[in-house]
Amino acid sequence: MNIKCRLPLLIALTIALAACGDDKDKNYTGMGDNGGALPGGQDTLNTADAGGGIPPAARGNFNPDNADYQTLASDTVYFDFDKSTISGSERSKLDQVSQWFKANPGHSLFLAGHADKRGTPEYNRALGERRALAVREYLVGLGLPAASLYTNSYGADRPAVDGDTEEAYAKNRRVEIGVVVQQP
Amino acid sequence: MNPCLNTAHLIFPSSLNLIANVNLQKHPFHSTLLVFALGFFSTHTPGQVEVSVPTLPRVGVSISGALGGGATEIVSNDLKRTGMISPVSSGSGDFLATGDAEDSSVNGRLVNKKTGAEVFNQTFSGKGRLAAHEFSDAITKAVTGLPGFASSKLAFVSGSGRVKELYLADIDGYNARALTHDGTISASPDLSHDGAKLAYTSYKSGYADVYLIDLASGSRTRIAFFPGINSGPNFSPDGSLLALTLSKDGNPEIYTMSLDGGSLNRITRTRGAETSPSWSPSGDRLVYSSDDRGSPQLFISNSSGTTDGADWDHLVTGNSYCTKPDWSPDGKLIAFTTRLGGQFQIGVYDVAARTGQLITTSGGQDPSWTRDSRHLVYSNNSHLYLLDTASHQSLPIEINAGGCGEPTVSR
Repeated sequence: MNIKCRLPLLIALTIALAACGDDKDKNYTGMGDNGGALPGGQDTLNTADAGGGIPPAARGNFNPDNADYQTLASDTVYFDFDKSTISGSERSKLDQVSQWFKANPGHSLFLAGHADKRGTPEYNRALGERRALAVREYLVGLGLPAASLYTNSYGADRPAVDGDTEEAYAKNRRVEIGVVVQQP
Repeated sequence: MNPCLNTAHLIFPSSLNLIANVNLQKHPFHSTLLVFALGFFSTHTPGQVEVSVPTLPRVGVSISGALGGGATEIVSNDLKRTGMISPVSSGSGDFLATGDAEDSSVNGRLVNKKTGAEVFNQTFSGKGRLAAHEFSDAITKAVTGLPGFASSKLAFVSGSGRVKELYLADIDGYNARALTHDGTISASPDLSHDGAKLAYTSYKSGYADVYLIDLASGSRTRIAFFPGINSGPNFSPDGSLLALTLSKDGNPEIYTMSLDGGSLNRITRTRGAETSPSWSPSGDRLVYSSDDRGSPQLFISNSSGTTDGADWDHLVTGNSYCTKPDWSPDGKLIAFTTRLGGQFQIGVYDVAARTGQLITTSGGQDPSWTRDSRHLVYSNNSHLYLLDTASHQSLPIEINAGGCGEPTVSR
């Protein structure tokens, strides 16, 4: 199990670190990607002023269930098991989202975080939230206004596909990007 | 237990334990480290399970009256479920439980057959099956010294697809009823220690909010609805506060708040996600899960929030993935969910000895202690089970509801 998990993670981290060199990513604060450290690689908690990522936007005057998830369906961002790091291959999707947003004024985005079904529901809810907040921070880094980026987490309760296969799990670890017709 | 492995564990300070475990992840086939890990987190081999059936005190049960037959069956099943008492026919046994069961009460009497002394003779007036359960708990307390849990309530979620409703049942699975009919996700229920209130997470507004239900009146109030997630409430022992997870400051962190939504106090301050807080029985500490080190592990902080997130104690359970801790009523143990070889299992952490032990082998998650600090209710593949942590035996809880999860037991 551990060897299987580590290799893709190392690849993902390598890509992620390489991506940090791009100018377009220079504002990305890395919230949610553990600062690039391997799990267990540090023995002290980041207590100083930590946890203060960009706070979630105040709730909008709309029902999240009415968000349009079709328009940007191909830009759904996928994650590794138990991770909220946005891998290099997924970041290009967010570049497209950024372009769409700038070309379609008058909209806000609803970032819906999800986890696969394995594990305890509470942890999965927080994991989905971290994924949604990581996507939000990345988009803010691309210049999108934070007030237009709403988030929510559904944990493992709204899977994209049913089933107990690795393929199904991979499709459920995601942030879906919904379009909301609302100014912040 | 192998004494060599125990010795090896005891001489390691906790910080070294962590390093050993981390190394184990990177080199799973390193034999020396593997031996250490097994010492930290051993499973019971069949030869180590004490089969104590022959030494269990035997209680003869014979209840007469209009509902005598049903009450005899209820009490016998309750006593058997404790794993500490062997119910027998009324002619034999070390104790004899007799009584008279009428519509809304059970007059129960327990006699010690060896001494001939009457242990108690009292009236239990709980409604329906509850009176018989209360009789069972009095027998259990008198015979074993531990509080019985037969009269406890069980809250859980049940459903399929995208809808999960909140349910309440007796701990033996009877009287299951839906508390909500919202057609949305209900999650993470917790019963107050006096059993009068239930806090839980609902997506009724479209977002994850925390609601409080007064079980007597049925009234429901939304008490936490900050931006981001509001989830995983856990009642303080005195019932005045809830610990919960909020992400309003940009990251899922543990907070405490009063039941009216005021007196918000931030407990953790990390870059990771903190979830599933559980109070110590004295109310001065909280155990919770944090993935600040990359994978979720257990930590204890004081519950006052005065140390600005700087006070914490990392619990080295021997496994790098631990979530959903539940602190036992006697304060000595913390049950949790762990991930081992891709499977989820229940572990128990001994607070004084600072060691973790795996107590299931067939899967399980979301454990909740009963009031005797010996039994746990947990879920596995949409079913609920009662686990005796002394014998490691699990019994299914038959419930007239499907897709069950996140059980919590009243204290």
